[in-house]
Amino acid sequence: MDITRREVITKIAKAGATGAVAVTVGSTPLHAETENIPIPSTAVGLLYDATICIGCKACVAACAEANGEVPDTRGDSLHQSPTDLNDLTRNIIKLYKPTDGTPSSYVKRQCMHCLDPACAAGCPFQALHKDPESGIVYWTADKCIGCRYCTITCPYHVPRFQWMGYNPRVTKCELCSHRLERGLKPGCTSVCPTGAVIFGPRTVLLAEAKRRISDNPGRYYENKVYGETDNGGTQSLYLARVPFEDLGLPEIGPESVPAKTLRWQRRFYQYFALPALLYAGLVQVIRKSVKGHVQEAHDHEKETGLRAQL
Amino acid sequence: MSAITSNKFGVEPAEQSRTRPEERWERAVPVFGIPVMTSFFIVLVALTLLALVLTGYRELAGLGPVSGMTDAFGWGIWKTFNVMVLTALGSGAFAVGIAAWVFRRKKLHQLMRMALLTSFLAYACGLLLLGIDAGRPWNFYWIVFPWKWNMHSPLAEVAICMSIYAMIPLAVENIPPVLERLWYFDSRLRPSVEKMEKRLHSVFPYIIAMAYLLPGMHQSSLGALMLLAGERVHPLWQTPFLPLLYVWAACFMSFGCVAGTTMLCCLVWKRAMDMDVLDEAARITFWLIYGWAGLRLIDISFREQLGTAFHFDRFAGVFWLEMIAIIGGGVLLQQSLRLQDKGKMFLGYVVSSLGGMIYRFSPTTLAFRPNPQALYFPATIEILVSLGFIALGIAGFLVAVKRFAILPGPLYLWHDMASYFRFRRPYIRWTGYFKYGFFGEDEQVSQDNSHS
Repeated sequence: MDITRREVITKIAKAGATGAVAVTVGSTPLHAETENIPIPSTAVGLLYDATICIGCKACVAACAEANGEVPDTRGDSLHQSPTDLNDLTRNIIKLYKPTDGTPSSYVKRQCMHCLDPACAAGCPFQALHKDPESGIVYWTADKCIGCRYCTITCPYHVPRFQWMGYNPRVTKCELCSHRLERGLKPGCTSVCPTGAVIFGPRTVLLAEAKRRISDNPGRYYENKVYGETDNGGTQSLYLARVPFEDLGLPEIGPESVPAKTLRWQRRFYQYFALPALLYAGLVQVIRKSVKGHVQEAHDHEKETGLRAQL
Repeated sequence: MSAITSNKFGVEPAEQSRTRPEERWERAVPVFGIPVMTSFFIVLVALTLLALVLTGYRELAGLGPVSGMTDAFGWGIWKTFNVMVLTALGSGAFAVGIAAWVFRRKKLHQLMRMALLTSFLAYACGLLLLGIDAGRPWNFYWIVFPWKWNMHSPLAEVAICMSIYAMIPLAVENIPPVLERLWYFDSRLRPSVEKMEKRLHSVFPYIIAMAYLLPGMHQSSLGALMLLAGERVHPLWQTPFLPLLYVWAACFMSFGCVAGTTMLCCLVWKRAMDMDVLDEAARITFWLIYGWAGLRLIDISFREQLGTAFHFDRFAGVFWLEMIAIIGGGVLLQQSLRLQDKGKMFLGYVVSSLGGMIYRFSPTTLAFRPNPQALYFPATIEILVSLGFIALGIAGFLVAVKRFAILPGPLYLWHDMASYFRFRRPYIRWTGYFKYGFFGEDEQVSQDNSHS
C-alpha cells in the first residue's frame, strides 16, 4: 500500500519536476533560510489563490465526501455549515471582511504541511509524522494517546480533536492520500470551479505562484507567497490581496517554530550526554552524603537507644 | 565529615538556636491516638469515589460532555492544574532533597519524609488524572518502546520522566518508613527487613541521584511545553527561560508545601515545632523566591515587554497578582525570621506557594490566547474529578502519617506514643505497630543490625 502511494506521488512529482525545471529556469533558487530544513524529495502541496476564490465552498463539501465524513450539519441541523475546522471538517472557507471598506477576501484553511511541523515536533509517540518522501503530515491512530498537544503547538491551529465518544480521533488534512494512491487529485482541488486551489509538487506550485505575481504586479499583498519561507516553509502555499495575518496565517518568520523554540531543549538532550554527566556528578556527591548520614543516624541510635531512621 | 562526629544531635549547635532542646525534632513519629476514620476523611473518600464514578462516565462519553475544553483550549484543569501546578507543589523530594543531600543542609533531613510522601502522592494522583485526561490512553503502551519515543518532544519527556520518576526513585525512597513499620510489627520479620534495608542503602545514592535528575528534567520540560505555543502565550510569560523559571518556581513552591504542611500538621496535632529546621527552610525559600523574581523581571525587561505589564487588561492583573503574592510571601518569610513569628512564616509559605501556583497555571490557561474570543472555564464534572483526585492525595496523606513514621517530632513524643499504645489502647491488635514492638526502653539495641 505504501509502495503504491509512494510510486504515484513520485510519478506526479517527476512529471511536475520536468515542468518545474522548464518554468524555473533562470528564476531565483529557494530561499537560503530553508537550507537546514530538508525539503522532502517529492514534496506535494496545494496552492491557494485567495484572489480567484469565489467562496462557493464546493471544496468543503468535496473534502468531507472524499474523506468519508458525514456532512457537519451541527450548526442548524440542515446545512453543512461548519464555522471552523473541527472533528468532521478538514477544510473550510472563511470570509475576511473588514468593516472599514478595505478589500475583503476569502481564505481556505487546511493543514499547511509544514516542512518542519510543530505538531510532529511535539507529538510524544510520533503519531503525527511527516512522510519523508511526499512531505504529507500524517496522523496514525494507533500511536496517538489523545494528549491534544498538537492542538496547542500548531501555529495555524489545524489539528482538531474529537470531543465526543470513547474513541476520539485527531482530524487534519492529509492531502487525500488515499485518492493520491489511486492517481486522483485531492477532493478540494478536483471540484474547485475557478482553479483557486491547485495541487502539485511544491516546486511547481511555487514557480506558478511567482509567475502569477510577476504577471500581475500590484495584485498580491507584498508580492509574497505565504509558505515559501514562513515557518521554515510550508507545502500549502497562499497568495492573497490582503495581509496574511488577517486571514489567520500568522507572521512567524523564516525560522520554523520548533527550530526557534526548542533549540536549547534539543541541545541539552542531544545524545543524552549532559544529563548523563549530571547524573554521574550527582551520584558522587550523594554517595558521600549518604555515607555521612548513615554514620550520623547510627551515632544517634547509640545515643538515644532508638532504632535509626533514615 | 569531621563535623559529623563532633556535632552530636544532643549537643547544642554552636550558632544561636531558637529551639528549646525538648522541642527539637529528632525522630519521625506517627500521629497516634486519633482514628483514621474521621468525618473529614469520610468526606475525602466520598469525593474520591464520586470522581471515580464520573471518570467512568468520561471514558464512555468522551471529553466534551464532561469538561469545558474546546478546540481553542485543548487542555483543561486536569492537565494544567492537577499536573502542572500540583506536581510543582509536590516537588519537595526534588528541592528539599537537593538541599539536604547535595548541599548537605543536614537539618532538612527531618523534613525529608514529609517531602517524599507529599511528592509521591502529588505525582501519583497527577499521573492517574493524566491517564484519564488522555483521549486514547490505551496507546500509552508505546512508552515501553524507547525507539518509538519522539526524543525532542517536551511532552514525551514529561510523560516518560514523570512515570519513571514516580514509579522508581520516588517509590523506592518512600520504602524506608514501610520497612520500619514492618520491623516494629513483628520481631520475626526483622532479619529479612534488615537485609532489605541494607540492600536499599547500597543502591540509595543511585536512586537519589535519579530522583534529582528526572524531576529537574521534567519540571523544566513542563515549561518547555508552552514554548511551542509561541505567540499564543502572552509575552509576559512566553520566554526562552520558561523551563528554568518553571523548575525554579517548583523549588520554592515545594519548600512552601513541605514546610507549610508540616507546620499545619504540627498545629493541628499539637506537636512541637523545631524552629531551627523551619528557619533553615524559610531562609532557603526566600532566597529562592528573590532569585526567581529577579530572573523573571530581568528576563521581561530584556525582552522589552515590561510595558505590557502596565496595560489595563487581565494579563497585567494576573502578572501583578502572582508577582505580589510571590515576592510578598518572600518578604513575609524574611520578616518571620527576624521577628521569630511562626504565623508570619506560615502565611509567607501559603502566599508564596499560591503565587507560584498562579504562575504555573498562567501560561497554559490564564495567559493563553488561542484566539481573541476563546475563554475557558472548567465544567462541573471536570472540577469534581479534579477535586476527587486531590482528595485522594489528602486521604492518602492522612492514612500515611497516622500509620507510618512520617511527621518529625521531638524525642519525648516517641516515648509518649509508646506509653499510649501500651497503657491506653492495649486492645488494639491491628495497629500492630507496638504490639510486638520494641520501644528502645527495655531491650538493648542489637549491634548486628548496624548499617555499615
